[in-house]
Amino acid sequence: MSGPGPAAAAPHRDYQGAKIGMWLFVFTELILFGGLFLLYSAYRTKYPHEFHEGGQELNVVIGVANTIVLLTSSLTVAMSITAIQKGEKRRARILLAITLLLAAVFLVDKVVEWSAEIGRGIYPNGPELLKRPQGAIIFFGLYYTMTGLHGLHVLAGIGVLAVMLALLTKDRIRSDDYVKLENAGLYWHLVDVIWIFLLPLFYLAA
Amino acid sequence: MPFLSQTAGITERVDSVFLFMLAVSVAFLLGITGLMIYFVIRYSRKRNPQGEDIEGNAWLEVTWTVIPLVLFMGMFYFGWTNFEYMRNPPRDAMVIEATGRQWAWSFKYPSGRITDELFVALGEPVRIEVRSLDVIHGFYIPAFRVKADVVPGKNNYLWFRPEALGTFDIQCTVICGVDHSYMLSKVHVLSVPEFKKWYFADENAPAAGRSPAPAGKPEAAAGVSPGLAVLESKHCLSCHSVDGKPMVGPTFKGLFGAKRLVVAGGRDKEAVADGAYLRRSILDPSAEIVKGYPPAMEAVPLTDREVEDVIAYLRNLK
Amino acid sequence: MGTTATAGLDGASFLDAGRRRGILGWILSTDHKRVGILYLAAMVSFFFVGAGIGVTMRLVALSMNPTIVGPQTYNALFTVHGVIMIFLFVIPGLSAVFGNFFLPILIGARDVAFPRLNLASWYFFIAGAALAILSLFTGNGPPDTGWSFYAPYSLRTGTNVTLAVFAAFVIGFSSIFTGINFITTVHRMRAPGMTWHRMPLFVWSVYATAWVQVLATPILGITLLLVILERVFGIGVFDPAKGGDPLLYQHLFWIYSHPAVYIMILPAMGAISEIIPTHARRTAFGYKAIAYSSLSIAGVGSLVWAHHMFTSGMSETANMVFSLLTFLVAIPSAIKVFNWTATLYKGSIDLSPPMLFALTFVFLFTIGGLTGVMQGALALNVHLHDTYWIVGHFHYVMFGGTGMAFFAALLHWFPKMFGKMYNRKVATLAWFPIFVGFNMLYFTMLVLGWMGMPRRYFQHLPQFHTGHVVATVGSWFLVAGLLILFGNLVVALFRGEKAPANPWGGVTLEWTIPSPPPVENFHEIPTVTGRPYAFNPGRTR
Ligand code: HEA
Ligand code: HEA
Ligand code: HEC
Ligand code: CUA
Ligand SMILES: [Cu+2]
Repeated sequence: MSGPGPAAAAPHRDYQGAKIGMWLFVFTELILFGGLFLLYSAYRTKYPHEFHEGGQELNVVIGVANTIVLLTSSLTVAMSITAIQKGEKRRARILLAITLLLAAVFLVDKVVEWSAEIGRGIYPNGPELLKRPQGAIIFFGLYYTMTGLHGLHVLAGIGVLAVMLALLTKDRIRSDDYVKLENAGLYWHLVDVIWIFLLPLFYLAA
Repeated sequence: MPFLSQTAGITERVDSVFLFMLAVSVAFLLGITGLMIYFVIRYSRKRNPQGEDIEGNAWLEVTWTVIPLVLFMGMFYFGWTNFEYMRNPPRDAMVIEATGRQWAWSFKYPSGRITDELFVALGEPVRIEVRSLDVIHGFYIPAFRVKADVVPGKNNYLWFRPEALGTFDIQCTVICGVDHSYMLSKVHVLSVPEFKKWYFADENAPAAGRSPAPAGKPEAAAGVSPGLAVLESKHCLSCHSVDGKPMVGPTFKGLFGAKRLVVAGGRDKEAVADGAYLRRSILDPSAEIVKGYPPAMEAVPLTDREVEDVIAYLRNLK
Repeated sequence: MGTTATAGLDGASFLDAGRRRGILGWILSTDHKRVGILYLAAMVSFFFVGAGIGVTMRLVALSMNPTIVGPQTYNALFTVHGVIMIFLFVIPGLSAVFGNFFLPILIGARDVAFPRLNLASWYFFIAGAALAILSLFTGNGPPDTGWSFYAPYSLRTGTNVTLAVFAAFVIGFSSIFTGINFITTVHRMRAPGMTWHRMPLFVWSVYATAWVQVLATPILGITLLLVILERVFGIGVFDPAKGGDPLLYQHLFWIYSHPAVYIMILPAMGAISEIIPTHARRTAFGYKAIAYSSLSIAGVGSLVWAHHMFTSGMSETANMVFSLLTFLVAIPSAIKVFNWTATLYKGSIDLSPPMLFALTFVFLFTIGGLTGVMQGALALNVHLHDTYWIVGHFHYVMFGGTGMAFFAALLHWFPKMFGKMYNRKVATLAWFPIFVGFNMLYFTMLVLGWMGMPRRYFQHLPQFHTGHVVATVGSWFLVAGLLILFGNLVVALFRGEKAPANPWGGVTLEWTIPSPPPVENFHEIPTVTGRPYAFNPGRTR
């Protein structure tokens, strides 16, 4: 679900309005994950030991690598916005393409990581996981839910950024009309910020 | 209203909070309604063709904020202190465990005795520890004004002091499946000597109320086939009969080998109740639903051995 | 949707003009007025379906033995009744219909901030409704958990909970997008001179509601998503067998669903705050108190959710705090009731049909609110929780409150929306059976609840039978009244007299433009110079 578009049919273009809309949408996303963070903290208090052990089992290397990938991509999207503000269309396009590439890298990492765990039988209702204590079932249940939902957001972000790249190419995003790219960038920062929370909660929980 | 007179200690407290709040509420409701009707008549367009734009009155507005605030704090306080009383059972209360499952109650006394209706002694405080075997139920005795949600995996409790002899209803208050409204029981308040007689009587003597086969001891009665024992201990018999009586689920009598009409994924299908069919029905009941029955059965995690026993038993149940 | 303001005031009304003709002209239109009417049509249909189910449940209660349906069907009936009424009728409620139609007009704008997103919201709404209907006919039958989908029963039941929950999830998006749209509209699209304190009270209440929609709905989204994941993959978070905690489900559910009751009631209160001054021809008493109490209801209302869980065995402190906050949130509602009453003082009152229904709202909502306050007292809640008392309470606030306000607003704004006037006498006549039937039906439920009749019961014990019969008879009066009410409006739609631009002598902006409004709303964006309800200039105190 993409965020609200700018007020196309309004008599004048209202950038401020478009940004308010996008910020509100970002808030709703934060609250969506907020619900999960609430659950996480409740269960972590209930099962501290299992959460600790669960964290040890996750692949910290991939986790940290992915953090670097996402942080860099946030930087490139911000640089792309600055570039288009200055009218440097080519630079803006290259930077946006790099962002997309990094996002794809993130997802590939995720697939690698998940397949390894699923291969070991550690997934909801998986044979290996059901043998574990209850706290571990919950830890991995939350792990798959939260990183999965985040992954879906990365996927959506890729879609949105790809559309922005096309609009850039067609000159529908220009140095005097770039609020769409700005909003897409805002969304991408959100995806980044959520990951920054997920990293310590799961990978560094040990 | 007789239900008000069958009191326990808690009952009077709850009722007095109720009456206090009711009185205040009725007073406000009548006041507001009366004023509205009066204004509509007194300032009707006919009598008062031109209105006045009165924008507010600070004093009035403060008054009608502060008065409700004070009343509300009073109500909160009464509600809270009496609730504290209801949540703090006396130390000497007799502890009875009430277990809810779809769709029946059972009560376990300190002596280990198990009944499906509750027996208590007049004037003696009772603490009910509620437990659930499956989903959430609600344990409710309206006459005593007490209720507790029965949440699986959690301990909850309530207490009361029966203050009148007689028999009162117990109802389940949380939706728990098809027969939620039949999940009823009774509480019998006996005089102290009578209760003692009942309590120390021979455990196997049939007391008032139907005593089920003692749970937790499946092999108790000698000569019972292992299949039947499983059916009893896993509570299958609260939904299925072995004598042809229709209950929530189809009867087991004559089931083996019979033709079944089932609904799978929205479509009707014919099946024969052979071993494989029975195994499927037990381990994954919602895949195929016997036509005309609710999808009420949950997957029961029986071991392979237990399933075999059940099937063997059903095979011979003609 | 044009972009320039060349059309004159006598330009075609939004009902006739438009880029496309016929049905496409409606379902592809981004005109906020057409979107509002799309919502109206959809919601009235759902209301009738839900009401039909309600009446059927009353018929079941007429007998002590199983009659027309079995227990499984009954459980599906109240679940579907609740889901339809809550998610498809009172939550979008006045905000989606009258908010869409009148919010831009009341602040002097030509449309909402994001017109295309607005139409998309309607599509999300319809898609969710379609999924909900689909859930009735597929899988192992309609859900039987009650509208609150409590775990673990909702995780175990074989019925089609997954699809129904997904439907509610989709409808959530509709609600969020509408909220985002209205907040932005109020911030960015007000006409020159339309300062915050000159906004009509309906705008204030829709604005407060929009914030609740934006901030609370995502929690419902994630909760429902977890139920789906639980049912499909077995992630375990609410399943006690896997270490999950069913009470956490209840917390998450009510963190949304209590604020949701204010999503239902705030726009209703806003509409009442428009109707009473207009038909009493005088300014609203305590404008600022009414405006800010909307915001404080929205604020404090998000902190009281656990009053639905007083018997669940929460900690004593939690019980105490949530009860205290419940009492506090009743204060701003009380302030509103007093202000509405005071607004009648020294007015020039016309007891027109909208006014009659608005005053009925005040009466019924007060009963609903007072019963709510009684439930909020801890000791009393233990007895009343999950009984028909609660059923009585929420029908008083949702039907007697939001429902009556919906009818009042419809009667108030119908001439403006459709340019046709209905028969006033017939509308007043409809009021009598509605009022009598309503109280027979729902007051009896309060009595039954106090006597100990649990809710969601297919069969009841003998001591409750008389009450159930009385309630059922009451429901028949209600059916009669509502049929007259809506029949009258349908007749007016096709054969009503042409309505003047300002049938009630109102002074807010919607009455300054023709009935029905032109596509552009305003020939020229108006400049606002004063307070909204200046009926009696020169006689101001
Ligand atoms: C439109 C929807 C709506 C509204 C506005 C309200 C308003 C209120 N509700 Fe209600 N409520 C529901 C819809 C709503 N509710 C629903 C749907 C449920 C059941 C859900 C389910 O389980 O299925 C429910 C359940 C519910 C419960 C849980 C009951 C239980 O299950 O145990 C409680 C408990 O505190 C409660 C309290 C309140 C209170 C205190 C208010 C207050 O906001 C009311 C404030 C208003 C007034 C108080 C009236 C006016 C005031 C005066 C005239 C002042 C003078 C009065 C005095 C000084 C006393 N509600
Ligand atoms: C706005 C919300 C709303 C509205 C308007 C109504 C309206 C009605 N409801 Fe409501 N109800 C709920 C919201 C609402 N309900 C909710 C949320 C629940 C909880 C569900 C749960 O437990 O999960 C509930 C539960 C509920 C129960 C409790 C079930 C139980 O616990 O066992 C009952 C019982 O009688 C009931 C009855 C009715 C009736 C008779 C009407 C009537 O007033 C309807 C009146 C309207 C009309 C009569 C319309 C006019 C005419 C027609 C429709 C044509 C006639 C058609 C036919 C007769 C087929 N409802
Ligand atoms: C909560 C009530 C309930 C319990 C407990 C229950 N069942 Fe069932 N059972 C049903 C219902 C309802 C049906 C019919 C619908 C269906 O097919 O799922 C059914 C169907 C069946 C069938 C298929 C019968 C046929 O007529 O084809 C079998 C076999 C069965 N159950 C075995 C069991 C066993 C063994 C247990 C205990 C381990 C058990 N049930 C416990 C409710 C229950
Ligand atoms: Cu057990 Cu309802
Ligand atoms: Cu609430």
